[in-house]
Amino acid sequence: MTDAADQLDQLLTVGEAPAARAKLQLNGVSRRFGAVQALAKVDLGIAEGEFVTLIGPSGCGKSTLFNIVAGLLEADTGGEVLLDGAATSLLGKVAFMPQRDLLLPWRNVLDNAILAAEVEGRPKRAARETARAMAADFGLKGFEDHYPQQLSGGMRQRVALMRTFMFDRDLMLLDEPFGALDALTRAMMQRWLLDIWSRYRRTILFITHDIDEAIFLGDRVVVMSARPGSIKLERRVELPRPRDPALLTTPAFNAIKRELLDAVEEESMKTFAAGAA
Amino acid sequence: MALLRLVLPLLLLAALWEGAVALLQISPFYLPPLRQVLGAIWALGPAYAQAFMVTLGEAVAGFVVGGLVGVVSATAFHHQRWLRDMLFPLFVASQTVPVIAFGAIVVLWFGNTLLAKAAIAFYLTFFPVTVNALAGFEAVDPRQVALLRSFGASRRDIWWKLLLPSALPRIFTALRLSAGLALAGAIVGEWFGASIGVGAMLLAALFNEQVVAMWAAILTAAAVGGAIFGVVALVEARLVFWRDEL
Repeated sequence: MTDAADQLDQLLTVGEAPAARAKLQLNGVSRRFGAVQALAKVDLGIAEGEFVTLIGPSGCGKSTLFNIVAGLLEADTGGEVLLDGAATSLLGKVAFMPQRDLLLPWRNVLDNAILAAEVEGRPKRAARETARAMAADFGLKGFEDHYPQQLSGGMRQRVALMRTFMFDRDLMLLDEPFGALDALTRAMMQRWLLDIWSRYRRTILFITHDIDEAIFLGDRVVVMSARPGSIKLERRVELPRPRDPALLTTPAFNAIKRELLDAVEEESMKTFAAGAA
Repeated sequence: MALLRLVLPLLLLAALWEGAVALLQISPFYLPPLRQVLGAIWALGPAYAQAFMVTLGEAVAGFVVGGLVGVVSATAFHHQRWLRDMLFPLFVASQTVPVIAFGAIVVLWFGNTLLAKAAIAFYLTFFPVTVNALAGFEAVDPRQVALLRSFGASRRDIWWKLLLPSALPRIFTALRLSAGLALAGAIVGEWFGASIGVGAMLLAALFNEQVVAMWAAILTAAAVGGAIFGVVALVEARLVFWRDEL
């Protein structure tokens, strides 16, 4: 390990290797908005250190689920959301990264990255030090003092990810973080995220529309059903890590993809039919 | 370079003034030569300097308090819907009362004090700032607010780190507009019996038909307005440096 990496380990809490204990456990979580049942009895467990990807047709309640796990939205009574086995308010306990980078144009890269740390009351100077040390890992070295408007889409997304990592929580929620990026940048970011994840060891729940992405990244892929959203299928991905792009063309990968495609297709058709009716 | 851009149009305007008066042989009753006006100011330097300072003080006092009250009430309206529904119509109604009518009352209340003029400047300032700050707060992306909440941010954090900076461009638009209004308010306030200040000078010159003195007072008023506007623009350039890059 290099000196810089050593230093990083001291600056950040580095999680332990995956254990069997559930970091996050959803039991029968439902949510209704007026007449619309967005979620119906979602059961989902995520083990510590696990990378779970979630796919589903659009409008299946993924965002609702995310907002509930982020603590921004209450689940209807009857279900429970347990973090480390306890049902507490999740606000401020989960590192949440929305689809858009939502960087603040009046803050430079470092100051955007430390936003969450600042809210927590950490001294700015110390937080900036940490961010400066992390910048290289996030491919932002030399850009610390740039403003978001001066960065490419991929870089902005990395700043947003760095902000999420700086919000030092064991559970990270990523909502289609690479959705807006072009295919090449996207593939690069995926490999880079795996690299970062294996180094910082966080529990990740990652939403995506892209089945390839879901399989490539995840220890487990969860497929949601059409609205009302519930868990339709869970598929463990036994592909070896570290993963590289060659994996995408292997028979093992394609077998998993076939299986997931069928499930997603079926749900998409339901959404489509419901929309047409 | 920036200084040149500022000075050059002024010089051009001065040349145009002088040239027009000489070439078109405009009667000094309508427009005296600029030289003569500047000469009058120069001759009574301390008096004009005092008028400048007094009016500037009145306008700035009202302007600053008006700006603060505008931002504070916009904050209250943004967070408390019922407060907004109740008070906002009153704010609007207040602005339909002509400032002249209001001015007479204020002078009646506070006498011939700085407070009276500042109150009128305030009356003209707080409304545009309230409206624009409120629009700025309402325009903030709710997803941005949600993100900060997910970090465990308090309302105060959200206001300070997100709402206020987001609204700054609009607030400064209002402040630039209000800079001129605050000055107008101070001058109107002086018309109700003040003896010192640009407005008082203007009125005295008008009554005595001293055209040169009138123009001198107008130039002094322009200097007051320019000073306030200039400071606002400088602060804006420092605080809202990111606006042009959006």
